[in-house]
Amino acid sequence: MYRTAHRRIRTLASNAACVALLVCGGSARAAWQFDIDGGFFYDSNLTRAYEPADIRADTAFVLDAAAGWFSALTGADGLTLAVDARTELYHRFNGLDLLDVGAKAIYRHKFGLGYAAPWIAVSAAGAYDDYRSRLRDGGRLDVRAELGQRFTPEFDASFGVRYDRRYARSDEPVVPDISGKVFALRGQSAFARAGYAVNDRLLFAAELAVRRGDVVATTRPDFEIFVASAAIAADPTFGPDFFAYRLRGTTNTAKVSASWALDDRSSINAVYIDERTDAAGGVYYRSHSANLLYAWRY
Amino acid sequence: MRWLTCVALLALGVGEALAQTAEIRAKVTDDQGRPVEDVVVVAVPVDGAARAPARPRETTVDQVDQEFTPKVTVVLVGTPVSFPNHDNIRHQVYSFSPAKRFELPLYAGVPAAPVVFDKPGVVILGCNIHDWMIGYIYVSESPYFAKTGKDGTALIAELPPRAYDVRVWHPQLDSTEESTRKVVDATRAGPVAVAWTVKLRREAKVRRSPAADGRGRY
Repeated sequence: MYRTAHRRIRTLASNAACVALLVCGGSARAAWQFDIDGGFFYDSNLTRAYEPADIRADTAFVLDAAAGWFSALTGADGLTLAVDARTELYHRFNGLDLLDVGAKAIYRHKFGLGYAAPWIAVSAAGAYDDYRSRLRDGGRLDVRAELGQRFTPEFDASFGVRYDRRYARSDEPVVPDISGKVFALRGQSAFARAGYAVNDRLLFAAELAVRRGDVVATTRPDFEIFVASAAIAADPTFGPDFFAYRLRGTTNTAKVSASWALDDRSSINAVYIDERTDAAGGVYYRSHSANLLYAWRY
Repeated sequence: MRWLTCVALLALGVGEALAQTAEIRAKVTDDQGRPVEDVVVVAVPVDGAARAPARPRETTVDQVDQEFTPKVTVVLVGTPVSFPNHDNIRHQVYSFSPAKRFELPLYAGVPAAPVVFDKPGVVILGCNIHDWMIGYIYVSESPYFAKTGKDGTALIAELPPRAYDVRVWHPQLDSTEESTRKVVDATRAGPVAVAWTVKLRREAKVRRSPAADGRGRY
């Protein structure tokens, strides 16, 4: 099964690359861009569980590579098309090991001339996630619109809205009349962010987001969650007696990051994320995650 | 015979005039003693009698690897400057500076006409596609100027011997250009050394390096 999914990913990747080459071939006046991010990621509550006994933490190695094409359509409009691949390799919970490939399109418009001109960006991204555990496999879609402005060379801010959708392949119900498509999710978010460059090298950024939509919690059998769930499936990634539940919930996310520029093309980035979710059935859970990544752009 | 005498006298005159030129050797360091590159050094005759300049020659400010090259350019007022684009992406060069407001609509290669910088002052260049791109054109009212190299030194040669008001400018200068003014006595032929120690502030430039969330690229 894992092999079949890999084949599907390879096909998707080659199709995406062909589309990108066809589109990009239309303009000689465009810049190729290559991005690589690699590092480590830690999450204090991978299960999104609220009972301490069910909480599982782990660390993963993350590698993300993207190849893109940017074209200035006019002096105020830019279009970026990119394909990317990402892998996550977990230390303990290997069922979460991930390989995904995707494509992204970003259109950006500036309302005027100069760095201080406000801008709007609209983006759409799609990807296929292939996890070692089949339960989480499926496609993803992310559409967002963002409005922002750089007020000084050091300070910028933006806010936006986002719609995310995840399509589950696995449908193995464990309870009659309740779907097994736990990872068929959708949600809407609003977010605001700001960044401040303290000096030539150090940049701090903060982001607050509120998301309303489907969330997944993995716990041992729990009646309260069971009653509130829209989908349930066995989740052997965390143990034989764990089940994943899909719930409706509101997630508040606070993110802070520090980026240390090594040169014009690379940086070391540290990100801390605090995520709190209030879900149906009185379920409340919290997770802290952090990542330390080396980023390189060309 | 008379013709030969004329030539000899003329040659003697030119030679003497050259022998009587002065030069100013400027050295600029920061407050930690490090040489400062890209400092514009301008000498203005105290008596206001600058040599009438020939028609200024065209200068270029390139765009290479999505940066202005050179970053600091010094030209005489009235100089045409062209902005060839050597990148494989189009640029839109502009300036809001009072000394020259202009905009070159999105272009690749070499724009059709150069921009003439007809007012003295500092012109800050930007690109509307790549916000991190920043360049400076110092438009001098005096024909006597130079720019420091990596070693922090600059040479203004072939100056008519007289006294000069000499001042320096740099994009990160923490004081006014006027406050750097020094009167330099170059009435005798030969080099005169002048030194400045300047305090530099942080450059007002949008960061180019990748950020944690991948933003800021375009």
